[in-house]
Amino acid sequence: MIPRHFQITIALLLLAILVGGVMIIHLRHKEQEANLLRSPAAPGAPVAGAEEKIRMLLAYDDDQALRWRETTVFMPVDRALRARAALRAVLAQYLQAPSPHPLGKGADIKDVYLIDNDTMVVDTNREFADGHPSGILLEQLTMTSLIETLTANVPGVARVKFLVEGEERETLAGHADLMSFYRTAATHELAREFE
Amino acid sequence: MIDPSHGGEDKGAMFGRGKIAEKDIALALARVLKRQLEERGVTARLLRDSDIDLSLDRRATITNEEHPAVYVALHAGPPGWGVRVYTPALQPARATGKFLPWEDAQAASLQRSRVVARTVAHELSKIGLPVASLTSTLRPLNNLTSPAVAVEWVPGSAEVRPSQLLRIGNTLASAIASGIVQARNQGVDRP
Repeated sequence: MIPRHFQITIALLLLAILVGGVMIIHLRHKEQEANLLRSPAAPGAPVAGAEEKIRMLLAYDDDQALRWRETTVFMPVDRALRARAALRAVLAQYLQAPSPHPLGKGADIKDVYLIDNDTMVVDTNREFADGHPSGILLEQLTMTSLIETLTANVPGVARVKFLVEGEERETLAGHADLMSFYRTAATHELAREFE
Repeated sequence: MIDPSHGGEDKGAMFGRGKIAEKDIALALARVLKRQLEERGVTARLLRDSDIDLSLDRRATITNEEHPAVYVALHAGPPGWGVRVYTPALQPARATGKFLPWEDAQAASLQRSRVVARTVAHELSKIGLPVASLTSTLRPLNNLTSPAVAVEWVPGSAEVRPSQLLRIGNTLASAIASGIVQARNQGVDRP
């Protein structure tokens, strides 16, 4: 017969071993997660391209006008990456202070996708749409400026569609249509009203 | 059909240091325009007569079901000063069939929309404000089967005050109503 106090001691020891084991497993998982977050991201494949002078159609709110300007940026060979680089060059102009056409802080182009060789889908971030000033003309100047710059630097694009964080939105900031595909030929005609 | 733009959670552009919303200006102007049209013998209906959320697709659906002679959307926004009159940025219809594509539903009425825009802009030019006639991708103009225009009051950089709104609202509404009557006289209500 094992004495009662001995039974209790063994039970407590077993419980302590069990709790300790669970704690160790939990801590090891946490450390692994932390190591994963600390580890540097896998380096991406180098992008082929070169510094290039590009044309941008910029909006000027004070004059309610669009004007062509030039800038030099790294332009990849890939058409979708090329489009993103050109659009980001436009946003860089709008995000500087003083800005000819202020946009919300942090506005960015997340990705551009090429479909069927003539259609581009531009995925913008939340800040681009949420922070965009509301107004028919202000929104139209933004859309026209981006589409015209895209087609000037990536020939052969017939249609452009805009998304916000990968999803469709009715309008940019209450006015400009984001549901439809923009026909670049029609946008070109529209741009002439402001040049 | 008069469409006071925005409403509910959708405030539109803000004026008067963030105190006056585009949705309120549009509704105030719409009520005056309705009265002005009725005084000229034209039946008019507001798409919203209170501060409610109404999606753009719903606005287009209601309007298309009503088959109005003219649809006019009322807006207010920066930049600049004066009034801007917009027609849909579309190509005229290539072919018309029984079913119209939602995105291009306006194409068959585009020429008549341009007539309305021209007569409204002409009347607005008489009240001493700079008037610009433009095309726009503004929703839901392209989804409407009837002649459709949008009129945007551009208050300028000066602070927007309620008294100013009342005065300009009457003047603008009167000119828009005269323009619509003229367009009707030119037969825009007949396809």
